[in-house]
Amino acid sequence: MQATPTMQPAAETRVPTVDDLRVKLCFICREEERYDSPEDPPRAWTHPCQCTLVAHEACLLQWIKAAQQDPARARNALKCPQCGASYELESDNPHPRILRILDRSNALLSIAGKVVMIGGLATVFVSFGFGLYLVCTSYGAHAMQSMVGKEMYDILLTDEPSNWPWHAFVNLPMIPISLVLSRSPTFVTFPLLPLIISWPSSHPVPTAALRLGAASWSLFGRNDGDPYGPILGWPPSPVMAAMLFPFIGRLYREQYSKLKHLIMGTRPTQHEPVRNIVWDFGGEGPMPIRAHIGLRADPAQQRQQQQVPAQDDAPAQDAEGQEQQGNGQADEPGVAAEHTLRITNASLGRFIGGALLMPTIANYMGSILYRLARYSPTLRTFLAIRPPLLGHRRVPLLAPWLESQGFTQMSLLKKVGTSMQVALNLVLGGTRVWYECDPVWWRNSIGLGIFIVAKDCIKLLHLYLAKRDLETRRVKSRSFAGVDLEELDLIHPPAHDGRVLQSRNDIV
Amino acid sequence: MAVSTRRLQKELADLKKQGTPVGIDLLSADNFEEWFLSLEVLGETVFVGEVFCLRFRFDSSYPISSPAVQFVVDDKWQAPMHPHVYTNGHICASILGNEWSPVLSVVSVCVTLQSMLASCKEKKIPPGNDRYVRHAPDNPKETRFAYDDDT
Repeated sequence: MQATPTMQPAAETRVPTVDDLRVKLCFICREEERYDSPEDPPRAWTHPCQCTLVAHEACLLQWIKAAQQDPARARNALKCPQCGASYELESDNPHPRILRILDRSNALLSIAGKVVMIGGLATVFVSFGFGLYLVCTSYGAHAMQSMVGKEMYDILLTDEPSNWPWHAFVNLPMIPISLVLSRSPTFVTFPLLPLIISWPSSHPVPTAALRLGAASWSLFGRNDGDPYGPILGWPPSPVMAAMLFPFIGRLYREQYSKLKHLIMGTRPTQHEPVRNIVWDFGGEGPMPIRAHIGLRADPAQQRQQQQVPAQDDAPAQDAEGQEQQGNGQADEPGVAAEHTLRITNASLGRFIGGALLMPTIANYMGSILYRLARYSPTLRTFLAIRPPLLGHRRVPLLAPWLESQGFTQMSLLKKVGTSMQVALNLVLGGTRVWYECDPVWWRNSIGLGIFIVAKDCIKLLHLYLAKRDLETRRVKSRSFAGVDLEELDLIHPPAHDGRVLQSRNDIV
Repeated sequence: MAVSTRRLQKELADLKKQGTPVGIDLLSADNFEEWFLSLEVLGETVFVGEVFCLRFRFDSSYPISSPAVQFVVDDKWQAPMHPHVYTNGHICASILGNEWSPVLSVVSVCVTLQSMLASCKEKKIPPGNDRYVRHAPDNPKETRFAYDDDT
């Protein structure tokens, strides 16, 4: 229809606009304006869509503004309610682009605000986690230094984290965690296992000085022998020790438990002892927070308790027997002392603090042993004390050694074979650093072992004394000194003037 | 004079001049704040023979803002039993909320509600009616209805 008018004169083809209407009716305010009686002052009219609706521009703008302010209606604000056509807005804004940029950046800023908010929360969590990680890692480094001694620490780790091998960043923060876990009954592991497992095969930190030294050695063609220590030397290689320690630990625990039952006079149960865990934070404070974690009653023991009265051949005594049995179990001092684990602020602190102190204790015990070894050559041999390496730091690196063995000239099979042999020896024997350095870790481990045994002995003594105290406990009986004897119904009533016996005799 | 008054004057004049559509009657339009209209659904519907009363309340920005429309519930009038009409007379209809536009008027709202009732197949009160009625505000415009799209 619109296509044909091209042939017709220009005046007739002009498409009519809102100004060509005879009567204009604003669909918003419902006011009319006839073409022959224009308003004074004139108001602008608009036809914003594709249908017959027209409106005062001011009315429509007011409507659009109002609708845009209501989020529920905003999407309909720029749409004709009748034909659904979109309104196009124009403005005399000299810098529409700037406005649009500002609008958009405002919207972006809102999004950025949300991101900052979420990011802030995330940062709090992450930084908390990271802080924890840092604390754990630096503690791990401290534990490491305590355990292996300053000399080896400077070779393997150093104080400069940028020198650390990658596994240090995994291994070190695990140390405090594994120390704490090793004290809980669920994880029966040797506390310093993570320390020992990956470090022996770890190579010296390649500091510039060391590299230079290694280079000069290879220049002078000095061969320092294998880069790994012997597997069956003395002290045992750390990996051997790591395999040995849990075994010894388990054996020790079993023997300790037997001894304890012997001393305490309790029957060993096959299950873990029943523990009645009482969380008692706040202690004697005004508002102690208490929670019972519940009694994990040992089912085997319960069954046993029920069976004992049934086997009793005197049925009349059944009830009594059962009661006694029950009381006997609960009242038995050793059992009572053992079965309730009271978790208080102090005990939790003791638990964690004690676990984290272990490397330091090991270090102290190690240095005590070191001092004692001065007076005993046997102990010195047992601890395998070596002079410090300070004067001649022979720290061979793997690469120069492999070169000196003609690794590059080997056939592929031989390469693989040699590599595997080196790797196996490294794992079992540890690096030469471990072998050549003064084995501080060894005497520290021995020291820690002695400490644990000593601590257990003290604990056992404490338990024994407590049990003895409970068993032999009596209430001290006093005389009636200070009490008016007249008020007491005595077998031999007190005599006035001290003639008790005589007056009685008189009556008889 | 407020825009709403001029517009309502126009609407009232049109109503009086052209008359109301069938089934709709103007009960009272004494001021430009509150009007009452009666509504009857004609033909074979579930509301046959029932007459309802609609109350319109206008604020000064009408028709930019929608009127508050509800069925009158008192000793004389009852609200229709309809899934979109609560027993207190509040109506859940999108044209009274987010689909209101100034092109609508008192009469067109009445006609729309009339057809809404006419298309009803089963007399049923809205789900959650009791809870809504217990907490409903006096002005239905203050309720944010969730409009389901059924025609």
